[in-house]
Amino acid sequence: MKGEFTPKIVGFLCNWCSYAGADLAGTSKLKMPPSVSSIRVMCSGRVDPVLVATAFLRGADGVLVAGCHPGDCHYEKGNYYARRRFAILKKVMETLGLESERLRLSWVSASEGPRFQEVITEFTEKIKKLGPNPVKEKTSL
Amino acid sequence: MEEKIGVYVCECGPNIADNVHIDRVLDAVSGLEGVVVAKRHKLLCSEDGKKFLKQNIEEHGLTHLVIAACSPKLHELTFMNVCEEAGLNPYLFQLANIREQCAWIVEDKEEATEKAIRYTRAAVSRIRYHTPLEKKEIESNPDVLVIGGGIAGIEASLLLASKDRKVYLVEKTSSIGGMAKEFKQLFPKMEPTSNILEQKVQDVLKNENIEAFTDTKVEEVLGFFGNFVVKVKKKTETEENEFKVGAVVVTTGLNLFDPTKLSRYGYGTLSDVYTALEFERMNTKGKILLKNGNPPKSVGIIHCVGREEKGYCSRVCCLYSIKFARYLKAEIPVVNISQFYSDLCVPGKSYQRFYEETKEEGVDFIRAQDIEVTESNGQMSVNYKIESRKPKTEHRNVDMVILAPAIESSGDSSEIAETLNIHQGDEGFFTEEHEKLGPVSTSLEGVFIAGCAQGPKSIPDSIVQAEAVAGRILSSLIPGRKLEPEVKISEISDAFCIGCKTCISVCPYSAIVFDEIKRISVVNEVLCRGCGNCSAACPSGAASHKHFTFRQVYQEVMEALR
Repeated sequence: MKGEFTPKIVGFLCNWCSYAGADLAGTSKLKMPPSVSSIRVMCSGRVDPVLVATAFLRGADGVLVAGCHPGDCHYEKGNYYARRRFAILKKVMETLGLESERLRLSWVSASEGPRFQEVITEFTEKIKKLGPNPVKEKTSL
Repeated sequence: MEEKIGVYVCECGPNIADNVHIDRVLDAVSGLEGVVVAKRHKLLCSEDGKKFLKQNIEEHGLTHLVIAACSPKLHELTFMNVCEEAGLNPYLFQLANIREQCAWIVEDKEEATEKAIRYTRAAVSRIRYHTPLEKKEIESNPDVLVIGGGIAGIEASLLLASKDRKVYLVEKTSSIGGMAKEFKQLFPKMEPTSNILEQKVQDVLKNENIEAFTDTKVEEVLGFFGNFVVKVKKKTETEENEFKVGAVVVTTGLNLFDPTKLSRYGYGTLSDVYTALEFERMNTKGKILLKNGNPPKSVGIIHCVGREEKGYCSRVCCLYSIKFARYLKAEIPVVNISQFYSDLCVPGKSYQRFYEETKEEGVDFIRAQDIEVTESNGQMSVNYKIESRKPKTEHRNVDMVILAPAIESSGDSSEIAETLNIHQGDEGFFTEEHEKLGPVSTSLEGVFIAGCAQGPKSIPDSIVQAEAVAGRILSSLIPGRKLEPEVKISEISDAFCIGCKTCISVCPYSAIVFDEIKRISVVNEVLCRGCGNCSAACPSGAASHKHFTFRQVYQEVMEALR
């Protein structure tokens, strides 16, 4: 390991709001850490909890799911389903001995470039404090 | 067939090239399995760039195309069109966003390059699992469902029918005409309502393009703009009627605030307190009389009943209250009339004069607060406070009170909102797509609102909205134009489905039905909009979201963690 710990974060962004918000952060040239790899999905409700669990088991230091604000979902209510799924998933993580703060659900609209920057920066800082995913060490044995 | 993946990295002028070592991105993907060519270009979205891509696809016989450039929101469609021109299925293409979400946001060039490599590798890794998807075309239906046979619904129906659109006009009560048919005359010109309305109702009933259903409820509306399937049911029948339309107009009108909720006005407890609608009906049917059979000598008209509770002004109450004074003066010239208002609202080019002329006829307008109606020894009186530097309490004896209750959304609005999947605001009226720029459309394409269903308004304003809706429909729903339903939809594997119906419960579009014989869920490919919620919820892995399959997204996750 050289130097500072650079977290690996998977960011699932919904196509309509958060991915567009991330693009806006880009066109506004807002700088942020390179830690989050964004993956476009059509809706935050598309994010399969199994995929999130898989990401953690394969060593993700954090997972971000970002979607439209409540009431603004392009598909009416996908973000509400996402919210419920992640409330449960956080509980599951705790029972597995994984800090539930490693999973973050955020609402970022298409017009919120600065908010996207803030979410990415804050979450990266948080994960840095938590350190590397402990699962990674165990599975590498 | 052996896969041949081509990877092309766009410099986007200096936009990407300045902050990403493009050659290193090319090096990183060149050796990957299946990649037969990796090149850079100055500007792939330019005419020259598109020609370059097309030539490359043909020359190398590419089976898959990966482009690392700007956001898919910007040029995904551009490059999909290039694929089509070159004979490559456009869904065998993936765009890695190394501009907006990489070059422009990462300060350090080394770090930006690493991130660009991750994104490009992820696209290569994912694309191996892409399958060609086919676009479908379906006929659009130019016909229209209008819900609510009031003045707005009538106006919209007649206009649409005049352009040979088939209109299904569904009214829940036993007759067409809506609330306006209760009114004897209309402000400000006091012309008989029948002059306007009766002819229109007759026109609706005679029009061959309009099929009017009375005593009928809309049971179900499924689909999208250009292709809705509607089920309606007449109260007296058990059979449902089903038809197809391309657009839906909601003109479900209004309810009045129930004044029994505010006991201070004496409605329901004192004998000669009437709502505005009851007074209209009394006047339309015959004479204005008290319960004892005598004409009233003095009448108090109380404005703004429920305004505070509802939190908005209903726009027309001041004007019809002034009209009531005209009704009364016409029939009982000696009657005393007092109007108790809190804010007189008479905007527009003709209403100020209407108010002034009525006032000149000897109608008192009193700006009052804390209004209360009481009765003692058979004498009713309106008690109120006058706001001034020294507030004082006053009262007026009256023998009839007319209340002007706030306009509320129609009682069945919530049901309609649920059936159609449109939104209601906190006050219960249907929410327009945009307050200023989309005042008659809703969040659901192809569903429009007009009249009091959208908010309290006058007859001319309702007609304006109805005409706007007709304009919107006639200009966007063109007969013969084909529709392209979403391609990236869900599919459910017959073999893996366990028939638990979880997918059905999470689908926002009722696009999944249950096959009772096979005991499995089946996706309706026309109704599915491709949100993927079912595939995230499916416990058996049977539901899959095309172009965002578990495997495809998994590949991206793995590259992010490399």
